[in-house]
Amino acid sequence: MTEIFSSLYGQPDSQGPSGPSALGFGSGKPQVPQNMGPMCFPHQMVDEGGPIRKPSAMNEPFYLLRELPMENELTGHTNLITHYNLEHAYNKFCGKKVKEKLSNFLPELPGMIDSPGIQDNSSLRSLIEKTPVCNNSFSPLTGVMLTGFRLHTGPLPEQYRLMHIQPPKKKNKHKHKHHRPQDPLPPETPSDSDHKKKKKKKDDDPDRKKKKKDKKKKKNRHSPDHPGMTGAQPSSSSSLR
Amino acid sequence: MTLQQFETLYSTTKDSVTKHVMAEKFDNLEEHLEKFVENIRQLGIIVSDFQPSSQTGLNQKLNFMITGLQDIEKCRQQLHDINVPLEVFEYIDQGRNPQLYTKECLERALAKNEQVKGKIDTLTKFKSLLISELGKVFPEEMAKYKAIHGDDPPS
Repeated sequence: MTEIFSSLYGQPDSQGPSGPSALGFGSGKPQVPQNMGPMCFPHQMVDEGGPIRKPSAMNEPFYLLRELPMENELTGHTNLITHYNLEHAYNKFCGKKVKEKLSNFLPELPGMIDSPGIQDNSSLRSLIEKTPVCNNSFSPLTGVMLTGFRLHTGPLPEQYRLMHIQPPKKKNKHKHKHHRPQDPLPPETPSDSDHKKKKKKKDDDPDRKKKKKDKKKKKNRHSPDHPGMTGAQPSSSSSLR
Repeated sequence: MTLQQFETLYSTTKDSVTKHVMAEKFDNLEEHLEKFVENIRQLGIIVSDFQPSSQTGLNQKLNFMITGLQDIEKCRQQLHDINVPLEVFEYIDQGRNPQLYTKECLERALAKNEQVKGKIDTLTKFKSLLISELGKVFPEEMAKYKAIHGDDPPS
């Protein structure tokens, strides 16, 4: 251990190639680095009759001993979240469960916003990569231009109707003051909806009736007025005697 | 009131005023965007089942759309210094909540902070151990080293 230590520090008595070179430390003598800054470590050591050192290094008791770097006040040792006053933000986003869907962040935005933008070519990425070429200013439409917006009467074709369907909204306890005009819902046949409702009622009713009957039977068994109770079960008062 | 107290009071009030001003700008933009989206939605309703009597309403909505774009263009000038990371756009394009990006950023920052703190603590302990062991083996050299660099603070 002391031999390796002394060879690194460039003793005049060289150890020979068997010692440090076998361990990969070179011949054991320092060389003045040419065209290299003070931060670089010499890779090769050449025997030139004695240790060659820079004038500044010769004054130091330890070769290549440099001053310690200035200590930075802000390091990874401090909690950076408290340092930058982000505790509230951390508790808000990481303390509670953040919902996954975009519609939870923008509940009032109409349309199917949870689907990926690539599907209907409405991604923001495509807008950044291929910016549309347009004029710098927005000018209102004149009467002549508005003639181009004369539409045919009647409903839209089915392939375009899905654009107006909104995702199901949660019922809020507080009623909103302003009311928006209702969106056109997809056409449903009235016969199917009634049939489904009727089916549900039919399924529920026999189950409910059975449950009610079972409950009544249980109540009647355990009530003191039931004729079967007094004869079958032994009375507690008789056992104590 | 001392000068330092005055400086802290000035900096805190300045921060709160700038936050309030920024919040107003965002609220203004948000209001214009909501009106624009509502106008577009109503335009879609008119178009979904168009009638000849709806033509004037349609023309009005189209012009409202253009004025809405003009208002949003004016808001852009107030917010020219706001930068949005591109990774947020990826979340939006996937239909995911952009608040998840903020959450993941904070979690990654905290994890990295803890990792670096662990490294600092480990290296500090290693340094103190190395100095103590070197002091046992090379007491004279380590005394010279400590005279140059001073005594290391206890880890």
